Amino acid sequence: MDISLLAFVHILVAAAVCWLNFIVIDLLFRLPAAGGVVGATAIGRHIEARGGALPGGIMMGNIVSSPDASAGTLLAACGVFIAGVPGGLLAALLVFIGNRICHDPGYAGTTGAVSATFIVSGFTLFGFSPAEFIAGMVIAILTIQGISHRHSSRLLAYLWRVRGG
Amino acid sequence: MNPQDAALAVCAVIAVYAAIRVAFEPDTLRKLPFLNVLSFAIAGSIALLLPHPLSILAAAAYFVGTTLESNAIASTYAGGLDRRE
Repeated sequence: MDISLLAFVHILVAAAVCWLNFIVIDLLFRLPAAGGVVGATAIGRHIEARGGALPGGIMMGNIVSSPDASAGTLLAACGVFIAGVPGGLLAALLVFIGNRICHDPGYAGTTGAVSATFIVSGFTLFGFSPAEFIAGMVIAILTIQGISHRHSSRLLAYLWRVRGG
Repeated sequence: MNPQDAALAVCAVIAVYAAIRVAFEPDTLRKLPFLNVLSFAIAGSIALLLPHPLSILAAAAYFVGTTLESNAIASTYAGGLDRRE
């Protein structure tokens, strides 16, 4: 296969892996339950007013307001790209500090960064480049925050109900 | 095109797309998720363009900074300066 086509296929696979990593961890850490700061709840209400679902909107507000598992996945991929597993763990430490700066008492970001560090370095054994995971995570966040807030908030609210609320 | 260039191209295209969506979204609070996508794309581009150990710090500092700004804008619009829920 042409090398650049292979890179784009890898990026799409990496996007799916990153998407699952950050959605599962954010739902486990109950991000859709309540806004961490008033601004997160306000973003959720504005998304709901445009036809979205409130729990999904609140989770999107929380993603905007503090580094969550999606930011952890991105920065861990950057860390592994530059310096391997130690770089990923350094990124996890920086996400932890970032959470405290943003008044976020949770550990979704740090957990996401640590799990992403091992996932990304594991995939390098199958011929993936950590750079492909950086682009993959940007595509994954685009699907949630950047295309249709109405549909993505409904999807997140559906997954939140599946998790059991 | 090596994997690094392909990844950078994807980040750049998504950054431009997100910037256009931010510009054309009339509701300030709904601009912020698009701005979040833009921040992801730029933080990723910083690491891809400058593969140096300090780039991890630069990307994280940039990302946490923009997140804190979005947090502040959203909370101010919601009517609370430092009120937590």
